[in-house]
Order: sequence, then structure tokens, then C-alpha cells
Amino acid sequence: MTSRHVEITVISAENLQSNRKPFKKNSFVTVRTDAAVSTSKLYRTAETDCEGSGPRWNEKIEVELPAQARNLILEVQCKNGARTIGAASIPVSDFIGGWVPENYLHFLSYRLRDERGVRNGIINISVRMKVPEGLMSTYARKVTSGFATTSSQTKVGYPAVENSGVATGVPLNWNSYPRVQY
Amino acid sequence: MGGCFSDVKGGKQAVGGAHHQERPINRDADSNDAVELFNRSRGVFPLHTSLELSLSATNLLDRDIMSKSDPMVVVYVKKGHGKLEELGRTEVILNSLNPVWIEKITVSYQFEVVQPLIFHIYDVDTKYHNVNVKTLKLEDQEFLGEGSCVLSEIVTKQSRRLTLNLHNRSGRRGLRNFGTLTVHAEETMASKSVVEIKFHCSQLENKDLFSKSDPFLRVSRIVESGGSVPICKTEVVDNNLNPIWKPLSLSMQQFGSKDNPLVIECFDFNSNGNHVLIGKLQKSVADLERLYKERSGVNFVVPSSHGHEKVSKGQLFVDQFNEKQQFSFLDYISSGFELNFMVAVDFTGKQCVVFSKCLSFPMYLHDLILNFLTASNGNPQQHDSLHYIDPYGRLNSYQQAIMEVGEVIQFYDADKRFPAWGFGGRTAGGPVSHCFNLDGTATGFEVEGVQGIMTAYASALHNVSLSGPTLFGPVVNRAAEIAGNSLFHNNNKYYVLLIITDGILTDLQETTDALVRASDLPLSILVVGVGSADFKQMEILDADNGQRLSSSTGRVATRDIVQFVPMREVQSGRISAVQSLLEELPGQFLSYMRCRDIMPLTDRAAQSSAPQL
Repeated sequence: MTSRHVEITVISAENLQSNRKPFKKNSFVTVRTDAAVSTSKLYRTAETDCEGSGPRWNEKIEVELPAQARNLILEVQCKNGARTIGAASIPVSDFIGGWVPENYLHFLSYRLRDERGVRNGIINISVRMKVPEGLMSTYARKVTSGFATTSSQTKVGYPAVENSGVATGVPLNWNSYPRVQY
Repeated sequence: MGGCFSDVKGGKQAVGGAHHQERPINRDADSNDAVELFNRSRGVFPLHTSLELSLSATNLLDRDIMSKSDPMVVVYVKKGHGKLEELGRTEVILNSLNPVWIEKITVSYQFEVVQPLIFHIYDVDTKYHNVNVKTLKLEDQEFLGEGSCVLSEIVTKQSRRLTLNLHNRSGRRGLRNFGTLTVHAEETMASKSVVEIKFHCSQLENKDLFSKSDPFLRVSRIVESGGSVPICKTEVVDNNLNPIWKPLSLSMQQFGSKDNPLVIECFDFNSNGNHVLIGKLQKSVADLERLYKERSGVNFVVPSSHGHEKVSKGQLFVDQFNEKQQFSFLDYISSGFELNFMVAVDFTGKQCVVFSKCLSFPMYLHDLILNFLTASNGNPQQHDSLHYIDPYGRLNSYQQAIMEVGEVIQFYDADKRFPAWGFGGRTAGGPVSHCFNLDGTATGFEVEGVQGIMTAYASALHNVSLSGPTLFGPVVNRAAEIAGNSLFHNNNKYYVLLIITDGILTDLQETTDALVRASDLPLSILVVGVGSADFKQMEILDADNGQRLSSSTGRVATRDIVQFVPMREVQSGRISAVQSLLEELPGQFLSYMRCRDIMPLTDRAAQSSAPQL
């Protein structure tokens, strides 16, 4: 199973609290996937000061995404790494598949939760899948006419890169999909 | 006591600059105060751009005996009741049947209103020459011809130039050739340059007794009379003598030129409004750029009581200095960007009749339940139903909303084919559908023009029985799918979904989830509430209070793409509620394009890299 590469720009966070007071210290963000593979790496941004409403890192990180990864885990850590101010789990399905082209630049925001599971602010990121050259418009879809209710369900995983010619699909996380479908 | 009741949080916000691309409301007396107040209370300021019209004509009628006509143009805009309001006049050009006028007419382009323009050309008699054109009485002049068009027609052309055939006052040309008039529209903005500057300070003086100063910066422009006019201010950073502020955007229109001196003052915020000056300095934008490049700081000066100034230890630094082009909504539209209109109509109604009758509820409970279940749509054949189609042609609320929004947006849609759906209804005895094609066919979901929507709606009322519950999720998903799919082909389409509903959502969370998923797509959603239901839920979706929508998976909306207006709130005003819906649209469009650095098409030719998505 090959890995994909994804470019994540950790932009900023807002409304962070620590001990019920606004969090104003230096912080950094770690990024990892939830794939239980020994090669799973931990990435981190540089530290940054807190601006008016929250820290702003604006740092681009290229993350290797193993095929089995279901989520990206982002954690905002305090300066010396002692505490996690807030963490967010980002389903890979939020930026893979869906209605847009593969290399779409997604701007996403997620709720952070602290170590006790209490909500603590929001983190803003942008994500773009790296697509190998020459495979860009493989998935151009026509807008489905027909009963408007049958939205295209064909969610595809990764393009068929391997020599075997078999498409390696990645089962996507359907939690975020509507229950009611017509 | 000032601190107890004033809007301290509001007072600490950043103000001004080029950040929001908003300008103060500058409407004429015709505008509706209630709508303005409604909008201002939501923090929405209309996007209106000042345009200059340059006029020229060819082959005008010759009215003068010895020489040629001396033409002048008077430009009118047609207001709501057919009344013509004069916008301006050109100068008189002597002796020409193919004049090119120099005097430009300023008109304020408002996206959300259809602005019909009327041009009257007159031959000015010799005895009126050298008289100020404004004082000329038009009845005394010879009428040469009339032309008319809608302002959006001009701006949606790439060249922003439209040629009209002139005719006489009754609209006919007869055997005569009245000639043509060419109108060219340009924005009056001096330059599209915007400078984004990020400041921080160090070692500021402490002005607060028990804590540290709460500093903010105010940037002002020096005017000729010697005083200064504030351009913008940063937000307040509490309790910090080394504050870092969010970046400020200044447009060249605001600071004039890069060498114009600006006054930058640093104040300590006090909730009673008496902010204490910590220090000030004078630098031009070019100086600030140099500070950024050299990574050096400049000291503030403090005017002391003796009259001369004291140099303080506090310093100002420029962390970021970005100069970029900020294109306006019109730049995108005239370069070929399109707005695509989609409609979804609420077909929910009494669906619990059988149920409650079976259980033999007492009549009053029966009515209570029906009222709860979006009963206001009722039976479309009856007068009190919101779906009632009046044989005399008076439009019902649904039709009104479709007409008003559709009329404005259709100019921006190239092929005039609009997806139209209904939701919450039962088609042909089948199950309840939450996203069915309004024209009743299985394959075509698009109709032609606003008239096509009206026809499909009327026929759907015969074929679809009102049902329920009220769910927006499927329609939003369908619209999002179309918007997302369009990105495979190009990225110059922006989609607008109009949802007309009479009632309360059955599943707020599902709708919220669908909206959060759609918030990163080129899509805006306008919701019009008709009838008298309590639309408090919709205000949550609107998110104008700053609370971003949160889905059940932990994802938060990237941007606010929903705008909601209840139709009844502005029932008798001359500006309808729907116009206030459309005012926010250009802003949402721009926020999508700008954060992805998508530029108007003509400018892309200069770039070598592929367009970003």
C-alpha cells in the first residue's frame, strides 16, 4: 500500500483557553495520522506568539498519509510540550473524495478539545492533496442529471498508480455524510 | 459608570482600512430606513461601487439648419414607480453628429437592484451655449433621441462598453435613423493596490494602574488643511506592553500615494472611551516598507507638557508588508465570472391530517398540531395558503421572492438555465421527496429563465401534494454537489441557491451539517422566510452574530454562506427584503475568490502557473 502526500497549512487557532483564562503563551502544533504503522511520523510547526485573538502559524507541512490512515490528528501544544491545549481529529474523508477535484485547496476549521474532552477553541487549516502528474482529471464527472435525488455516490480512493492496475480504494469515513439520502 | 453599559467589545474591534471592502451607505432619500437599520444591526454594509459613464454617439439627427446639431446627453435612472431620476448631464459638444463627450456621469452601481438607465440626447440651441448645462431647461431643447439599457448589461460585458440604438420617445424608430449611443463604464477607484501591514510594538509605556496598558494603533492621513483624518484602527490587545496586532489592510485610495505622510498613534484603551495616548509618529507607506525590509524599529514620540516632544522607549516594528491587487466584484464579473442561480421551493404542508383524525384527537388539539407542522402552506387552492396562485395575477410570496432574486441574478448567469427543485412534497403518489425536480420530469432539473421557474412552480402545485417534514439537507447537498463538480471544468462559476420556505426546520443539525460541508465551496445560500412563523432557527443558520456553524463531526463552517431574511419584516418598504439578501452576496463571492488568490480571468494570462482551485 502506498502512501499519499498531503500539504497541510496550519493557519491559526482562536478562542483558546487555559485554566479558564484566555491562552496567551507561545504554542506550536503537532500533526500526525492515526495509522498504526511504525513509519507513522510526527510533524510539528514552529512556535509562535499569540496575536490578538490567537496564535497564527501559517506554516505549510507536507505529511505522508498512509493508505490505512483514517484521521489526521492535530494538537496545539504549549511551549515546552508539556500540555495539550486542544486537539482535533480530522477525518481524511473531509478532503479526499467529495464533490471537488482531487487537488482542490480545502479551507477547513475544526473544534479543538482539551485533555478532558472539553471544547477549547477552533483551529483553521488548509489542505491540498498532492496529485501525481498526469492523473489530474481522471475523475471529471458530469453533473448528474436525472432524479436530482440520486447524488453521485461514487467516492473513489486513490488513483490507480500501481503497476498492477488495481485501484486501491480507501474506505472513507461516512460519519460526515447525511443519513437521509433520496 | 461608562464601562457598564457601553459596547466595550465592539469598541475594541479593528475598524476601517481596506479589510472588508465595504463602504458606508450612501443612498438617496428613496432608500428605506428600516432596511438600512436592519442591515446595519447585522453589520452588513451594502457593496456599492461608484462608476463613471463615458458617452459617445454616432449618426445623430441633424436639427440645425446651418450647421450640425450641438448635442448633450441627460442620463436618468428609472426608479421603482417608473419615475425618472436624473443622474447627470454631459457638456454640450458643438457642431457634431458623432460626438464624444468628456464629462462623465457618475452612477452608483448596486448589485442587488435592477438599475434601468435612460439616456436622452438633446440638441442645445445656440442661445444657450456658455450657460451651465445644469440650468438648461430641457423642454426648450430639441429632442434628438432616447436610448435605454440596464446597468448590469454594461458591466457584465468584458469591454464594459455597450452600444444602444436610439429611438424616439415612444420607443419606436419609424423610418428615421436616430443613430447610436455608446456607453462605457469605469470604476472610479484610483487604484486597486492594497497594502497589508502587520505591526508590533515593544516596550510601550504603562498607562494603567493595576495592570498593563491595553494598546491599539490608529492610522490617520494628513489632509491639506493640516489636520488628520483617521483611516483605520487595529483591535485592542489587552494587558500587553509588547503587543502584536492582526494585519491591517490599507487601500491606495485611502492613503493616496506611498509617500503621503501618515500619522500612527498608539493609545491605551479605556472602556470609558477616554483613551490615553501612549505615543505617536509620522511615517509614509514607503517608510513603513523600508522599516520592514531593514527589520528595524522606530521610536514613538510623546508630546510633553512643555510643548516639545519627548522620544519614548516604545518602538514600532513592521513584521509584514504585502502589496497586492485587490480586485472588485465588477472586475471578476466583467472578466467572465458567472453567478449561477438555483431555486428550491418548500412544498411542506399539512401532513398529519389522517394521523390525528384516526386517533380521534379533540379538534383543538388537532388544530394545534397542524399549526405546529408548518400548516401555513395549507391547501394551495385556498386564498389563505401561501402557495395560492391568484387568477388575477397577483404574485404570492413564493413567486415574489423568485422574481425579485431571479431578476437580479439572471444578468450574471450566461446560459439562463436554472436548476429548480422542490422539497417536502409528494410527487405522483410516491414517497415524500426532499429534492425533486420542479418541472416534474425525471431527467431535466434545469428550467429556462425566471419565467421557466414560475411555470414549473405553478405546474408543480397541481402535481405535487404538500407533505413534510421540512429538511434543507438534501437540497443543500445537491447544490453543493453541482458547485463542487463545476470545479472540474473551471473555477469562474459561483453558485447561489435560493431556498424559499414557510416554516421551521425539522432537523436543524442535519441542515447545519450540510451547510458546514458546503461552506468551503463556491456557493452562497439565500433563505427567504415567507408567512408568519417564528424563524428564530434560521437566524442561527445565518450566523451573523459571529458564531460559526458547527457540524456533528466537529467540523466548523469555513465561512458564513447563509443569509436569511423574513419576507414580512420589510413588507411595505420600497426596498424589499430580498434586496438586502443580495447585498451580502458580492462580499461572499469576493471572500471565496480572494482567500484562494483566484484573480479575474484577463489577469491570469500574465501568470504562468496553473490556476489554483
